[in-house]
Amino acid sequence: MATLSPNVPTQTLPRQVSANGMDAIFSPQSIAVLGVTNTAGTVPHDIFVNLLSGRFNGVVYPVAPRKKHIAGVRAYDYVLDIPDPIDLAILVFPGNVCELALQQCVEKGIRAAIIISAGFREVGPAGAAREQRIRAMAAEAGMRLIGPNCLGVINTDPAVRLNASFARAMPAPGHIGFLSQSGALCTAVLDYAAGKNIGFSKFVSLGNKADVSEIDLLRYLADDAETSVILMYLEEMSRGYELMEVAHRISGENDHPKPILAIKGGRTAAGAAAAQSHTGALASSDVVCDAVMRQSGIIRCNSIEEMFNTAQLLAYQPLPRGPRLAIITNAGGPGVMATDAAVDRGLQLPSFSEDTTRKLAAALPAAANIKNPVDVIGDARDDRYVAALQAVLDDDNVDMALVILTPQSMTNINAIAEAVCRVRGQFADAGKTLVCSFMGAKDVAAGIRILQEYRIPHYLLPEWAVDALRDGVRYRRWLERERTGVKRFPVDQARAAAVIAEAADGYLTEPQALAVLDAYGFPVVEHTLATSVDEAVAAARRLGFPVVLRVVAPKIIHKFDVKGVVLNLQNADEVRSAYATMRANLLEHVAPEDLLGILVRPMIPAGKEVILGVSRDPVFGHVLMFGLGGIYVEAFKDVTFRVIPIREAAARNMVRGLRLSSVLQGLRGEKPSDLDAIEQALKRLSQLAADFPAIAELDINPLIVHPAGEGCHVADVRIRVQR
Amino acid sequence: MANKDVLDRVIKVTARVLNLDPGEIRPEHSFSFDLGAESVQSVELIAAFEEEFGIEMDEDAALAVERVGAAADFIGKQL
Repeated sequence: MATLSPNVPTQTLPRQVSANGMDAIFSPQSIAVLGVTNTAGTVPHDIFVNLLSGRFNGVVYPVAPRKKHIAGVRAYDYVLDIPDPIDLAILVFPGNVCELALQQCVEKGIRAAIIISAGFREVGPAGAAREQRIRAMAAEAGMRLIGPNCLGVINTDPAVRLNASFARAMPAPGHIGFLSQSGALCTAVLDYAAGKNIGFSKFVSLGNKADVSEIDLLRYLADDAETSVILMYLEEMSRGYELMEVAHRISGENDHPKPILAIKGGRTAAGAAAAQSHTGALASSDVVCDAVMRQSGIIRCNSIEEMFNTAQLLAYQPLPRGPRLAIITNAGGPGVMATDAAVDRGLQLPSFSEDTTRKLAAALPAAANIKNPVDVIGDARDDRYVAALQAVLDDDNVDMALVILTPQSMTNINAIAEAVCRVRGQFADAGKTLVCSFMGAKDVAAGIRILQEYRIPHYLLPEWAVDALRDGVRYRRWLERERTGVKRFPVDQARAAAVIAEAADGYLTEPQALAVLDAYGFPVVEHTLATSVDEAVAAARRLGFPVVLRVVAPKIIHKFDVKGVVLNLQNADEVRSAYATMRANLLEHVAPEDLLGILVRPMIPAGKEVILGVSRDPVFGHVLMFGLGGIYVEAFKDVTFRVIPIREAAARNMVRGLRLSSVLQGLRGEKPSDLDAIEQALKRLSQLAADFPAIAELDINPLIVHPAGEGCHVADVRIRVQR
Repeated sequence: MANKDVLDRVIKVTARVLNLDPGEIRPEHSFSFDLGAESVQSVELIAAFEEEFGIEMDEDAALAVERVGAAADFIGKQL
């Protein structure tokens, strides 16, 4: 084992550069802790002791009024009494005196502060006002602030060794940067990671984000040489579009992209409850969050376990080159489970090359399965694992390998773990991804520790290993995705603007909404607003039978509910009759002055019905929705969202990414629908929404899509304007 | 403005609880920021004031009082 090289990052990272004064927070040379006490077990005491016991590589000054010393270190009454310059202040005074303390820090010329204390925005209006005052004070002085109401900051870099937190122990150094909006979660995560021998580069509790936000920290960690993977726990996302842009750049656009993994707490649909449109009702904050993360290249996780499972893979293994997985197991059942999981998650189990098959046949007993998944049989010892692992990692058909072990009486677990590490070393330059699942707890514990020591990701269950590998493959695809731009069509923006400008807040009438779409090049069928039966008949004759009559009355939102739509009228007599019946019926629901007329238009040939929509998210602005449409849209909920503007590739992925996209691609010999026409409609809708912030909700439901090459038509549209 | 007698007694009690010389304590001093009162001592101070003056104080309101002079005013209004 002496020849192995544990704890070595898998990629060369750039030198650290300072970012916006953040270096004073993460790499200070001198720290003053204001409000320290001598009472062990309290935050003001423990945070100071943590700095000492973490062996901070700088000078620490306790500021503790009327106390001579704290933990053997000479104390000062006021920060202004300290004779030396200070880079970072840590405030643990009660919240109500933090302003006094921060004022003195400003006078002292301190560049950054971490305010651990609570008693700010989270306690009500008085606290919010206090927070606003400290924010203003720091901004005026050019001081960076972490917190208030936070756990603190940790930097494990051996050159710094900063544990400016009240977490119990300094985590091990590593390459994972973690930032959290929940302080309490931080301590749990640290303990969890310690139990799994997972190290961190930086660890930050954001608290109330009076100054430094997740966006600042993402920028800092993007340039941090010690960080190769960034993890975030978020409860609320402010400055949404900026967050998207920054994450997009870090995760896939700069010279040294770094994967970002995030858990978003607070999956609530409450915000969507009041929406009136289909799009609004479906655009909960959670689906918008999904869209944001997908478009930003952020890997969304649902649990701490899942996040660290994937983080280990991305931090310590080469990114999977592709989806082809080889499985080696000493037990059939777990091999089958892993295979099922892999196929279910879109991975592939390739056939091995002839050379690999020959090697496996030579090394394994006759009863072994030398096809993928390779079963080395229950009595396998380290020699079989070595032979099988070497053979599959050497195979060009294999991108990654999963080693499964179940503890049986003849299994030499530790030797197998060491052998896996050794083979990993032999293939260090091969770019193959290697993970393990030693199933069990007690018997396999020592073997797992060996794997962890040598940074080979270990997962309790094979399915978890497969999940992590899937995330790795997805991230590879993100990095290698087609780069496309945002298409801008020539449109009549002035005409649409004139229509929207003359409309009051609320729903546009159907002619107005159609005019807006027509100005933006949507396939709107010709139509006429008739205010008499003769006008309706004349229009029908001009447009051509069969026709449709549709009520136009601003107070009627759901036309079908009041029999305000009549389809497939074949001749003038049917138009006359339907017009009269409809008008009489409608006057039972609306006053004559509210009935603006009846819209006449030709019948649109049958086709597949899809829905396109726009709603307005309070954080991220307009979001675009696409899904299977008609009356089943909210039943199937097979919809997908993107924040606008969408790129060309996003339009393509939206159309082809539905669960039921096969319906559009043609079933049982049916001609495929005109997917290009849908994509174009989505891009035009993105442009329209981007041009008009006043559009609060928009549904095109349905858009009727004809077979490939025959286009599509808008059958119904509703637009709500809210300035 | 606090009664001089009340202020003197507040300073005397504060000095005793925080183990300070009464001569060091001034009305403008903050209990925690200037005199180093810890959270437990803040609660002890309230109890000591209640005993000294024979009153009962609302704890949240009392803890919100930051300075020695303000504490004397706060107590003076309850006498």
